[in-house]
Amino acid sequence: MTTAVTSVMPKIAPPPPEPAPAEPNYLNINYSLWSWLTTVDHKRIGILYLVSITVFFLAGGIAAGIVRLNLLAPDGAIVSEDAYNRAFTAHGVLMLFFFLIPAVPAVLGNFLIPMMIGAKDLAFPKLNLASWYVFLVGAMFGVWAILAGGIDTGWTLYPPYSSRSSTSNVVPGVFGVFISGFSSIMTGLNIMVTVHKMRAPGMTWGRLPLFVWSLYATSLIQLLGTPVIAITTVLLMVERVAGIGIFDPLIGGDPVLFQHLFWFYSHPAVYIMILPGMGVVSEVLTCFSRKNIFGYHAVAWSSMGIAVVGFMLWAHHMFVAGISFYSALLFSFLSMLVAVPSAIKVFNWTGTLYKGSITFQAPMLFALGFVVLFVIGGLTGLFLATLGTDIHLHDTYFVVAHFHFVMVGGMVLGYMAGLHFWWPKMTGRMYSDWWSRVAAAIIIVGFFLTFVPQFVMGYHGMPRRYPNYPQEFHVYNVMSTAGASILGLGYLLPVFYLTLSLFFGKKATGNPWSATGLEWQSPSPPPLFNFDEAHMPVVVCGPYEYALGIDQMGRGLPEGPGLGSANDPSDKHGESAAPGPMNKETHVVG
Amino acid sequence: MNSLPPLIPVAASTMAYQFEYLFWYITIVTTVAGLGVYAALLYFCVACRRGNTTGSTPRILGSTRLELAWTIIPTIIFFTFFGWGAVVYTKAVHPPQDAMEVFVIGKQWMWKAQYPNGQRVIIGGNPRNMTEAERNSIGKLVLPVNRPVRITLVSEDVIHDFGVPAFRMKMDVLPGRYTTAWYHPTKTGDFHIFCDQYCGTWHSLMVGKIAVVGEQEFDEWLGGNGVQQGTENPVDGSIAHKGRELFLKLQCIKCHSADAKAAAPVLEGLFNTRVPLKGGGGEFADAEYIKQSILKPRLKVVQGWEPIMPSYEGQVTPEDLDALVAYIRSIKRGTTPNTTERMNPPVGAPTVRSEKQP
Repeated sequence: MTTAVTSVMPKIAPPPPEPAPAEPNYLNINYSLWSWLTTVDHKRIGILYLVSITVFFLAGGIAAGIVRLNLLAPDGAIVSEDAYNRAFTAHGVLMLFFFLIPAVPAVLGNFLIPMMIGAKDLAFPKLNLASWYVFLVGAMFGVWAILAGGIDTGWTLYPPYSSRSSTSNVVPGVFGVFISGFSSIMTGLNIMVTVHKMRAPGMTWGRLPLFVWSLYATSLIQLLGTPVIAITTVLLMVERVAGIGIFDPLIGGDPVLFQHLFWFYSHPAVYIMILPGMGVVSEVLTCFSRKNIFGYHAVAWSSMGIAVVGFMLWAHHMFVAGISFYSALLFSFLSMLVAVPSAIKVFNWTGTLYKGSITFQAPMLFALGFVVLFVIGGLTGLFLATLGTDIHLHDTYFVVAHFHFVMVGGMVLGYMAGLHFWWPKMTGRMYSDWWSRVAAAIIIVGFFLTFVPQFVMGYHGMPRRYPNYPQEFHVYNVMSTAGASILGLGYLLPVFYLTLSLFFGKKATGNPWSATGLEWQSPSPPPLFNFDEAHMPVVVCGPYEYALGIDQMGRGLPEGPGLGSANDPSDKHGESAAPGPMNKETHVVG
Repeated sequence: MNSLPPLIPVAASTMAYQFEYLFWYITIVTTVAGLGVYAALLYFCVACRRGNTTGSTPRILGSTRLELAWTIIPTIIFFTFFGWGAVVYTKAVHPPQDAMEVFVIGKQWMWKAQYPNGQRVIIGGNPRNMTEAERNSIGKLVLPVNRPVRITLVSEDVIHDFGVPAFRMKMDVLPGRYTTAWYHPTKTGDFHIFCDQYCGTWHSLMVGKIAVVGEQEFDEWLGGNGVQQGTENPVDGSIAHKGRELFLKLQCIKCHSADAKAAAPVLEGLFNTRVPLKGGGGEFADAEYIKQSILKPRLKVVQGWEPIMPSYEGQVTPEDLDALVAYIRSIKRGTTPNTTERMNPPVGAPTVRSEKQP
């Protein structure tokens, strides 16, 4: 290890005084329903999204419960085959299109991007509100399709089954996906323009928080990818309604064409889902280990790398779908490339913890859970990107377990980490420390118990979407369902303690975690325009100077009352000075 | 509930072994890598926890050398996965030239197979979705051990997938396009066939069995012997099945029935046995004797029966004779048709005829 000593130490300004509570803040400025429904405030729109996607998450969770309960018996424990098919389709459509895709970009992204870059709002506030209404209209079509008899095609909607054979509500469901896609485009466009044009003075690209980088990469995918799913769904509806042959070979179409179009969006879409979670983790891990991120540029550019390479590997979902031999080789090769930036991120997160001073509040537990589960999710993806193994594992529970590890283990835990991290900022209240840690532990344990048996099952050949299965898979299915019940309990806990915190939680300070980002420089909850007009933030340094103990405006980090325990990230053992580094030098490791 | 199945599921083809080696290579490499990351995380979380530190941390920004190392090394490892996977895949999708050919058709929600000599068999599907005749004739896809087989797949309706976990092989079955899979079975036994591509209500019941049998048993079966079939009758489309149709059409059944009205010997289990002849002596009932008895029936009459059978010379072609011999060879105890039985439509025929005859 070599040690480079920086000759000039930045002068640390004293910690800013605790900002006076904003009167009025964005929440209590107007209580009327009308003011919420017509708001153009990015924070309120974030809350509107939060409420709507929570409803869809619970609905999708109920569908998952039906699926898992039914699999308790080899011939279906509770529902008929038709009902089962509708349940897993509802689970997929609700969770993917109406929960995961809007989860972090539309809730946390809306709320935090302007605050993190020191802006008053997003670039297009009205477009932002429109995106929520468009999302709701799309979701209403989806919910209508599901409640009025359901859709039985699976979320992948492969024709000719979906266009010719299915008798379920394919058209309204697909139309809902089509509409809600525009909401995704609007959000992506808004965030992208905001990051380009509205950064505070001094907020250079190299000083952007990594959460902003990851959402920038996400927005790129939303902007470029979503139009393709719009085209695809329109073609599907045209074929189903008007009988114009596009995908159905009986009338002159090509079923594999649909799969190409569908995955051209839906594969990058998984990066829409996971990249924001990665951004959250970068914020949380640094704050709770009091460290600079290890390899800022590597983490930032790997997000962009994932976004770009992610567009070039869609056909790895189709290795056994009848595509040509050489395209299979090409797409397998490209799929290996996208695994590299993900690995880089994991190594850098691990490196960030090195010589840290780590505390384990709920956001940190969720973020660590993200890393642990994402490692498994990512590594098992390699089995599916490898041609020789995919040919057996394709369309089995191995795939199901893999993408749940990434989407749920990764993304949902990332979302939970972000929600717990910024909850005090969003609501001005602290939630129960103990209950939130318990919930994080239960979710992580329940998750393992649910999905590890599915890897084994899939390796043994159990196909996806099977309500009836051979006896030898029974034991694994029972184990998985038992785990799912624990997981379900874990998800219910936050609903209670977060809701209770709104009424009974301790009041949060402006910067309860003693974090460095600009979003912590305004009171909790923030005022209507985020920052005091007279003191708009000016950025002087990068986002994670925990070692120096300064925020992005160059001021010392406050010792908040925090959670009142010695294991609090904002605790400084009663010392009055800023929690400076042990050695005021910059280490260059390796 | 059963006890836990074995760690490694049964591997019954050359591809299965190729898969297992690659699978365990990736498993071991990724497990080592994953555990390495976990060990580092755990160590840092314990050693660098707040209670163990002063709360103040060094300012570490990163390391280009480490970044390069953990970019390049994983890339190289991932490319070994790709390379080996490509080799296995190349073998998996290129059947050898000498492979026997079997056609498999998928439709909601059943599988039908046809062998090159014309015989057809339903190899699985949802019993709730079949006609009575189809239900009775659900069989297995019989394959010979140690001989490569190429399966040509096509769908009549939506996309299916013909997956055989024991062979570690699956291939989508598309409407309007042929796809192929091939196997080189190495173990005898019964193995699952799953439809792996979602195809509607009874997707999960679109399952069947592959029976891998010895070379001799396979040839026997290919000749029309129905032991691997849902019924005892010869496999639809086989030469013996054709013989059975002739047996009914030529009215042989009128006298050679197995009931009390029989006016001629019962043929069950006749083949390759010694029959006593009228007027002393005996004859070995091989193909030659049977053919002779059809063309010149009164030459060697079996003891205890009257010489009443007419000659079929000129009415049957040599192929018909072979078919009849194959059928007679296949008749086992209790499988003689009853005298009123009609010829069934071919198994899996696309239309379901009305059962009611005028």
